[in-house]
Amino acid sequence: MVLDPAVELRNVTTIYSGENRPAIRNISLEINAGDYVLVTGPNGSGKTTLLETILGILKPVSGIVKVFGHDMVRSPYKARMMCSYLPQDFMKKPDEPFKVREIVAMGLASKRALGRLSRDDWKRVDEVLKLLGIDKLSDRPIGRLSGGQQQKVFLARALSRDPKLLLLDEPFSSLDDDSRRFVADLLYKLNRKGMTIVLVSHAPPKIAGLTMRVRLVDGCIAGVERCSS
Amino acid sequence: MHSWCGEMFLLTVLSASIIAGSLCGISGVLIARLRLSTLVFAIAHAALFGAAIGLFLNIDPLYTAMMLAILSSVIIGPLSDATGVPSDTLAMVMFSTYNALTFIFIFLSPGPTLAAEKVGGILWGSILAVTRTYLAVLAILAYLYALVLALLWNRFQSILFDRRLAEAEGVNTRLYVYLLTILSGVAISVSLKIVGGFLVFSLLYIPAACGFTAENIKRMILLSALIGGTSGSAGVILSFILNLPVGACIVVTATVIFIAVSIYAYIKRKQKTVF
Repeated sequence: MVLDPAVELRNVTTIYSGENRPAIRNISLEINAGDYVLVTGPNGSGKTTLLETILGILKPVSGIVKVFGHDMVRSPYKARMMCSYLPQDFMKKPDEPFKVREIVAMGLASKRALGRLSRDDWKRVDEVLKLLGIDKLSDRPIGRLSGGQQQKVFLARALSRDPKLLLLDEPFSSLDDDSRRFVADLLYKLNRKGMTIVLVSHAPPKIAGLTMRVRLVDGCIAGVERCSS
Repeated sequence: MHSWCGEMFLLTVLSASIIAGSLCGISGVLIARLRLSTLVFAIAHAALFGAAIGLFLNIDPLYTAMMLAILSSVIIGPLSDATGVPSDTLAMVMFSTYNALTFIFIFLSPGPTLAAEKVGGILWGSILAVTRTYLAVLAILAYLYALVLALLWNRFQSILFDRRLAEAEGVNTRLYVYLLTILSGVAISVSLKIVGGFLVFSLLYIPAACGFTAENIKRMILLSALIGGTSGSAGVILSFILNLPVGACIVVTATVIFIAVSIYAYIKRKQKTVF
């Protein structure tokens, strides 16, 4: 039996509405289940567009996008249930009324029927908060936290879902050095347990365990390098 | 006997105004969080147009208002997708069209043109239109509204927090937003009878503005519902005492409450800054 790749892009071009120039052009890429991929490139090279096209949030004008065999243009929802996404623009305003524990629980709720959470689900939420060292912030409104703390909350939300595919957009951007090392180590361990990770960063710290590096320049793939472990 | 009938009528009107005010208060917070104000503005005018059709056809405007509001809630999104026109712009096109059609249908409706009681009933509200059947419809709709919100709260909450992230996590946000838009449309339609088409937005946004002074989303919704209900009931009593249009009295009451809440929130904020 041949398993579907985690991500399959074939000749994908995505253009933002109102723009003439494609944000990514003719991208073909295959990411296997269990891969740990680092996507690099300068600002505006199409890294975020690539992630959001993989998730089907942005619809390509041409080409095929599949996640675990699901066509992300026609039927994205089933595949998205298996994914988690950490967006780049995560910062919330100071008057944001939602609290940390609620926000992390929302990630898990979207995988449950009618969004109902069981006692075990709440236990999972608390475990992830503790894992990332933000359990003491549980009852704080997210808008009152620092950028680094907010980024950890969103990472906790992504991890609470126990995804098969984890898509991270600049996950180290607001973290201090210790937190960067901790998160990099955590991602390495999660990947070793079988989680497929696609990580976008224009200036990544030292990352262990990568299986593939993709370099984007001007919306095109400038290089793909398979890494030996 | 007359006094008993009068008390029953007042009780019916008060109950209806509390329910309608609370429904509008809840909708106001949800609409503002989702930045759907323009869309709902158009839907409210669709309801007004529906009420005018009701006058023209000589049937209860409540039902035609509700039909038009629901129809508009359902078509604006797909129409925007099909035409490529942003939904806000499309909503404004629909708003002006509905306004024009409202005046045409009021003009064409049977009886003297622009008769005060028929025009007034839909434009600035009337307690005389509040019947026990209307109260029953209102109570059923309020129950359904609360049931949908309670059942799907976790989904709605995720969308209210960050719609794009909810979509990325597999929530069909468009479906849930349509549902909220329809619920808001229904809340507006049923409130038209009491508050009227010109003032219904005030009952949507003034309680919501008060609600936003609360610190979490559930309290925001509850506070907004409470202030909507209080404004409704106090406005009705004021209207009885002063013999003034009920819709205007409700909105003036809501504004007074808003001023009081704003002053309280300001003092509270200042105290927090000092200590």
